[in-house]
Amino acid sequence: MVVLDEPIKGVLDVRNYIDGEWVESGSEEYREAVNPATMRPLARVPMGCTEDVEAAVDAAQEAFPAWRRTTPLTRARYFFRLKDLLEQHFEEVSRVCTMEHGKTIDESRGEVRRGIENVEVATGIPSLMMGYNLEDISTGIDEAAIKQPLGVFACIAPFNFPFMVPLWFMPIAVATGNTYIIKPSPWTPLSMVKLMELVDEAGFPPGVINMVHGDVEPVQAILEHPGVKGVSFVGSSKIGRDVIYREAASHGKRVQAQCSAKNFLVIMPDADVESTVPGLLSSFFGNAGQRCLAGANLVMVGDDEKFIDGFLGKVQRATQGIRIGYGLEEGVQMGPLQAVPRKQRVMDYIEKGVDEGASLMLDGRKYDCGGYPRDCFLGPSIFQGVQPNMTIAKEEIFGPVMSVLHAGDLGDAIGMVNASNYGNAASIFTGSGKAARRFQYEVECGNVGVNIGTVAPMAFFPFSGMKDSFYGDLHGQGRDAVDFFTERKVVIQRWP
Amino acid sequence: MLRTTSQLIALHGELEDRVAEILRSLAQIHPEAADTLSKLADEGVQHRDMILKVYREGVTDAFEVGYLSKPMDEDEYTVREPKGSLSSAVKTALLNEDTVIRFCRDAAEDSNQLIPGLPQTFLRLAKRKEKRKAALGALA
Repeated sequence: MVVLDEPIKGVLDVRNYIDGEWVESGSEEYREAVNPATMRPLARVPMGCTEDVEAAVDAAQEAFPAWRRTTPLTRARYFFRLKDLLEQHFEEVSRVCTMEHGKTIDESRGEVRRGIENVEVATGIPSLMMGYNLEDISTGIDEAAIKQPLGVFACIAPFNFPFMVPLWFMPIAVATGNTYIIKPSPWTPLSMVKLMELVDEAGFPPGVINMVHGDVEPVQAILEHPGVKGVSFVGSSKIGRDVIYREAASHGKRVQAQCSAKNFLVIMPDADVESTVPGLLSSFFGNAGQRCLAGANLVMVGDDEKFIDGFLGKVQRATQGIRIGYGLEEGVQMGPLQAVPRKQRVMDYIEKGVDEGASLMLDGRKYDCGGYPRDCFLGPSIFQGVQPNMTIAKEEIFGPVMSVLHAGDLGDAIGMVNASNYGNAASIFTGSGKAARRFQYEVECGNVGVNIGTVAPMAFFPFSGMKDSFYGDLHGQGRDAVDFFTERKVVIQRWP
Repeated sequence: MLRTTSQLIALHGELEDRVAEILRSLAQIHPEAADTLSKLADEGVQHRDMILKVYREGVTDAFEVGYLSKPMDEDEYTVREPKGSLSSAVKTALLNEDTVIRFCRDAAEDSNQLIPGLPQTFLRLAKRKEKRKAALGALA
């Protein structure tokens, strides 16, 4: 077993990045960020305070007038420089991400790549930000719609994609001429520390991009501060709806809150088994199930018992073969949960599933974790005999648990998907174009896959979501993001 | 067994580095063939970097990068240390080339549909390596 070199050696003292300087938080409360595979402490993270946010907003507001007057082409060039630096530090950032989160190195590299892709999209801002116009709306009168930045935006990032998620928002926000504040998850702050080091090296003017660490207090301060024009959030539906969406809206801010999920993968009897199984493993157990696009419910359609038994047998055997361990070992296919309470939450759901009468085909609690401390490790679990009204079929578990359900036909399967409170992603596996089209047409969720297990939109498409999976109007990424971070101003002019 | 794309890329890098190292050692022992051997060694490093670049630019968390369609056995791809005369050493070096070519072809098949451009790049390398065998063989 070869473990790749760890880029973080000691215990880092994490500081805020405000107005182009690394500064101590005003908070006296700290939390330890820990490598969940080895349980080694990685950093002391301040819990943040209102004063930290006020300082960041002041810096961002002060930087805004000059930054919005900086030409879009020049703003894009800062992002070209950032992209170059990210390419140079690609491996280092990926390893930091694995160390603080626990995901495998392939998953971290994939995450970093998707973050870079968002930076790449932002370099096209001179084209993306163009408005539109029409001559002679009346005799000698022209009308134009132009897009303008609004001021200071902020994002409140989750623990599960510590590098990628802030980059869904910040590059487009800043490239369109706004200034920005990132608040990373206190559980996984170090990927963003690396990013801000590179932001600093890229030479962004002081105050344009800022970072404030912390937990509840800085979030509340961001939501209440009148200087913050809009907030992007990724996290649970409860916080997204009850705190972020309501508070931000009540303070007159734009808001996009991308939230929880319960994603269904529907297997039709004509699905191609060989190509489907690897896609399922990645969907259900990739990132140890800690992502809002993870598969949760596997719906077997029809009554062909031979097909169903054969298919599930293959899924079970392939799942049993998944190698668990420290993500910096290149052969590891699944890392630990990110923290002890997250593992406990998943264990509680497994207990609940058993109590409610589902049967465990595979019990992840009994897995070997390659000799590492067991604190955060949990193997993949598969439940059979799951009914749609069971807790494990309805609630987001956010861990490596597959619940197998059965549907009589495609209509029943679509009914199950649409009965869910969530509407993040759903996939169908089939050889039938007719079935695929019906699924795409009728299913009520934002990201739809056809023979794709993890429906992750690229940086130039919006990351969609419906129902309790999204609160707001405009999503992150793509043209939605450009509209979210700009105001459309209409100009009508006549020159007599 | 190789189970992940990361392992696949790492083993390719190790094979290219090892072959390059062997060719450089041979270049020192056999100065009459040093130019060709050093050039071939440099090419191997370029080949390693080509694959690494395609992997890093194409890797994504969205698809099945963590799972090769069928695990590959790394023990089937070992390179050997040439010994003896230049002629004998070249024969071993040619066998090493064949091993890396076989790895590239197997990797192309196994990484199909995983990362855009990766299987094509492995096949391209296999072709280049087939061609350069003539230059290596001519030293014998």
